[in-house]
Amino acid sequence: MQNVLRQHAEQQFAEELEELKKQDTQTKPLNWLLSPQAVVTYLVGGKLANGYHIMPKYIGNRRLMEIAVATLTTDRALLLYGLPGTAKSWVSEHLAAAISGDSTLLVQGTAGTGEEAVRYGWNYARLLAVGPVPDALVETPVMRAMKDGKIARVEELTRIGSDVQDTLITILSEKTLPIPELNTEVQAVKGFNVIATANNRDKGVNDLSSALKRRFNTVILPVPNTLEEEVEIVQQRVNSFSKTMELPLEKPIGEEVKRIVTIFRELRSGLSLDGKNKLKSPSGTLSTAEAISVMNSGIALSHHFGDGSIKADDLASGILGAVVKDPVQDKIVWQEYLETVMKQREGWKDIYRSCRDMM
Amino acid sequence: MPLHLLGIRHHGPGSARNVKEALEQLRPDIILIEGPPEGEALLQWALHEEMQPPVALLVYRPDNPQDATFYPFAEYSPEWQAICYGRQHHIPVRFIDIPLAHEFALREAERVRQEAPSEDGGADGIERQEDLTDESELRNGTQPGTALVTEALADELLEELPEPDVYRNPIRYLAEAAGYADPEVWWEQQFELRRGSLETFDALAEAMQALRDTLPLKEDRREQLREAFMRRAIRNAQKEKWENIAVVCGAWHVPALQNMPSQKADDALLKGLPKVKADATWIPWTNSRLSYESGYGAGIDSPGWYTHLWNRSQDDGTEWLVHVARVFREQRMDISSAHVIETLRLAHALASMRQLHRAGLHEYNEAVQSVMCMGDGALLQLVWRELIVGHQTGSTPADAPQVPLQRDLEIWQKKLRLKAQDAPKLLQIDLRDESGLQKSILLHRLLLLEVPWGSKRAAAGKGTFKEEWELYWKPELSINLLEKAAWGNTIEEAANALLGDRAAKAQQLSQLTRLMENTLPAELPAGVALLMQRMDQLAASTSDVGELMQAFLPLAQVRRYGNVRNTNTSTIALIMDSLLARIIAGLPPASSGIDEETGAALAALMVQMNSAILLLEEEEYRSLWYEALEKIMDTHQANALVCGSCCKLLHDAQEIDELRTAQEFSKALSAGTDPAYGASWIEGFLKESATTLILDDRIWQIVDEWLGELQPQLFQEVVPVLRRTFSEYTNTEKRQLAQKAKAGGTATTTTIQRENLDEARARTLLPLFYKMIGAE
Repeated sequence: MQNVLRQHAEQQFAEELEELKKQDTQTKPLNWLLSPQAVVTYLVGGKLANGYHIMPKYIGNRRLMEIAVATLTTDRALLLYGLPGTAKSWVSEHLAAAISGDSTLLVQGTAGTGEEAVRYGWNYARLLAVGPVPDALVETPVMRAMKDGKIARVEELTRIGSDVQDTLITILSEKTLPIPELNTEVQAVKGFNVIATANNRDKGVNDLSSALKRRFNTVILPVPNTLEEEVEIVQQRVNSFSKTMELPLEKPIGEEVKRIVTIFRELRSGLSLDGKNKLKSPSGTLSTAEAISVMNSGIALSHHFGDGSIKADDLASGILGAVVKDPVQDKIVWQEYLETVMKQREGWKDIYRSCRDMM
Repeated sequence: MPLHLLGIRHHGPGSARNVKEALEQLRPDIILIEGPPEGEALLQWALHEEMQPPVALLVYRPDNPQDATFYPFAEYSPEWQAICYGRQHHIPVRFIDIPLAHEFALREAERVRQEAPSEDGGADGIERQEDLTDESELRNGTQPGTALVTEALADELLEELPEPDVYRNPIRYLAEAAGYADPEVWWEQQFELRRGSLETFDALAEAMQALRDTLPLKEDRREQLREAFMRRAIRNAQKEKWENIAVVCGAWHVPALQNMPSQKADDALLKGLPKVKADATWIPWTNSRLSYESGYGAGIDSPGWYTHLWNRSQDDGTEWLVHVARVFREQRMDISSAHVIETLRLAHALASMRQLHRAGLHEYNEAVQSVMCMGDGALLQLVWRELIVGHQTGSTPADAPQVPLQRDLEIWQKKLRLKAQDAPKLLQIDLRDESGLQKSILLHRLLLLEVPWGSKRAAAGKGTFKEEWELYWKPELSINLLEKAAWGNTIEEAANALLGDRAAKAQQLSQLTRLMENTLPAELPAGVALLMQRMDQLAASTSDVGELMQAFLPLAQVRRYGNVRNTNTSTIALIMDSLLARIIAGLPPASSGIDEETGAALAALMVQMNSAILLLEEEEYRSLWYEALEKIMDTHQANALVCGSCCKLLHDAQEIDELRTAQEFSKALSAGTDPAYGASWIEGFLKESATTLILDDRIWQIVDEWLGELQPQLFQEVVPVLRRTFSEYTNTEKRQLAQKAKAGGTATTTTIQRENLDEARARTLLPLFYKMIGAE
């Protein structure tokens, strides 16, 4: 178990979930591991009555998490919507882990996701051998979730073709999955619900039909509000990354994180932090998730090729890669930013020089 | 002699309900309310059938209406409920706060002390307003009237809470102690949504006592004065042997009224306060003014929601959400009943998760956003405007005492069926219609009085009989109107007087011209007469012909088209006579000895003037005008451009014949004159009149010859000026000119061919031709 590259949420935070369960005095909906209040606590962090500290998984508006959890207690499904990198899948995974203790009932949406990935498929060898019998049926995560009363997750819902998307309608409104071939159906057990994620940046996605839309309550996850909030998110994730990767963190990295987040925020909003300079925005989204990955690769670089303490050089290539997605347009944007903002900023000489050399 | 202190939150429906229930239970024989004693006499109109909250008591200084304070009341204001109870049961209702007569005087003393002469009276009003509502009183410690700011706050407290929060909102202190993150929610859950009134008041008094003990009070004199006044009023009531006294005041003040200090101390405090005169009146108020959105707000951010809570206290959210769905449907969003059901479920799930007794506005909004708006907060703004704030506008009884000017405005509003609404509304006016004309006159008069209720917009379509206005009544306009109270008792009278004053003060003709444009549509004959008089005086002393012409131009418009508005044009005619005389006398000298730029400006004005003269169709004006032009043309010192322009105008009006024009032209362009002069002259003549050049062969010939004879060196000097003249022609005109030049100057000449004309055949066409030109 220790060898896996990345543990599921319910494994990684098993202890927290256990503590929460012990301390939980509120009423739980049927087949939920925790009460709704405890789920929210699990997500946004806090101190339990016995002093146990729950690490925050989602840093941001608590009310959003309350709406998300409250939605799952009703019979509507939850749609997490937002820019790429705003922790949609992260929240969805942790919700499933906290509610059902199982975040693995997952359907990854792609343009090629077919009906058999959402409803059920057939083991064709058996089907040919013995005909349509329950044994020949291949269950999907959704079907298993219905049977067990758990949370099913659908990632990137809008990437799935509209016809396939709409197979969810019956599941979500009638809470049943008919199997006409066997003249039977699977009826969802209490505790079943669906969390879907979708991003609103990509073009050419399949918009939800209004019939399907009506089955979802939508929560839009915003880009972090303040610099401090974003720095906190990046720092926390980077720390946990270096732990799992066994990369020792020699020095506190707070300053570097702050710089990366500042660069990303400024470019994203097209305005320098002091509000004095108007900037062009690059074509990429420059999400918090990307800031995290820039930091991670910087740490890895400094560990394997440097002296272990993170330097401007280690970060420059990562930043460049995140910002310059379009070799022509974004390069201009980046160059302008370097010369008009970075160069002038006190104490930023090193990172300015490293970035310049990269160009 | 029981004394009941009912601590409230201003504008809280829960508080209002509790007050109402408590009063019914206590059956007091007198009610004392935290409010301005000046307004006491106005309370008799509270139950009048025309009285529709939201309304506000406006207390102001008659000698300086900008020093004013509003006391807004909604139906769900506890004070309003107390007033209504008192009126219904025929028991005296008194206002016991500090009299504004003192308050205004203190404020003025403060202003003098601070030596800030330009302090804005309006801002003062806001300030005062803020500290009248306990909510903001408790929320905003930076206001002078709030007593909670202190540097001596316990260090421990500062460590626990972010500093500004404590200062801004001491309620937060209690809320945090109770484990609520949001003090609003705590207040709402504890006091607004709770039933069982008398215990609530006791609990509240206790809480406030604890708060006042914990947070050391700031030494605020005004606060002390206010509470001393309230105590004095209570003592008086007790002395008058009232048996059962109920006091309705901000919760914050309850402890101060409970533990009475000695009467002597209060008397000492209240001794020798300065005093000024203060008057009070009722004015209609609006929901959006009650909300935070505006400076004069009462500090509640959701008046519409509160109205709903007050009127439909039993609603579990269904009715509210049905209203929300309707708002969305009006905006063509597909919202089904299923949406409403799901929203209600989510709101209730949220409330139970947050362990609230009832779902509040937060829960409903979040549920609406999530279920109906696809998570998009922008759409929620719509509900915010339409429902949560709402568009309710109050009304006040017609026979309540009012400033005459305000009274007059209301009479007009009623007569013309113009409603004072707090949302922008477009109004189209047809001036040919009597009521339309009256509306326009009223709005224009108000503009003159600096009460910009309507702002004029460019009306679509042609015609001078149409006007488009955007109406938007903001209650602070009442102050602007009050300010003008001294000018007269009716709007017409005040506008006339104000206009006369402004005219007398004007030092420049151009100021009067601008004033004139706004005045004429306001139909103020008396004011116009004064304006004309002043115009005459200034015209006599001005030597700037340009200014005179600029004054003349708008008048010409009015005189010609004045009949649309039935304007009496005889006064105008008089002033125009004198203006024209001055212009004509001044123009020839003014056109000589000036540089090119001034000349161009003058020429442009003269072209406009010329159209005005033609427009007026007054034979006398016309002949005077062209005489003057000819005189300029004959003056040898006149600016070349002006001269050329004059020649052109005279030519167009056929005041001079072709021959004379040709003569003038060749004279100006002859070898004897400076080529630069010639070029300027030709610019004046040919500017924007390519047709003359294309069609008139003689002029063409003259230009052609002049150009041909120019020395190469002179030609180079002239080219830029010519280029400038010709560059303003359109492409078609330039092409035609080029073709004519190519053809040797005769291409477009049309000569009538008389040969072989069959007259009999031609005659058969004539009847049809006459018919076509309407000559029959």
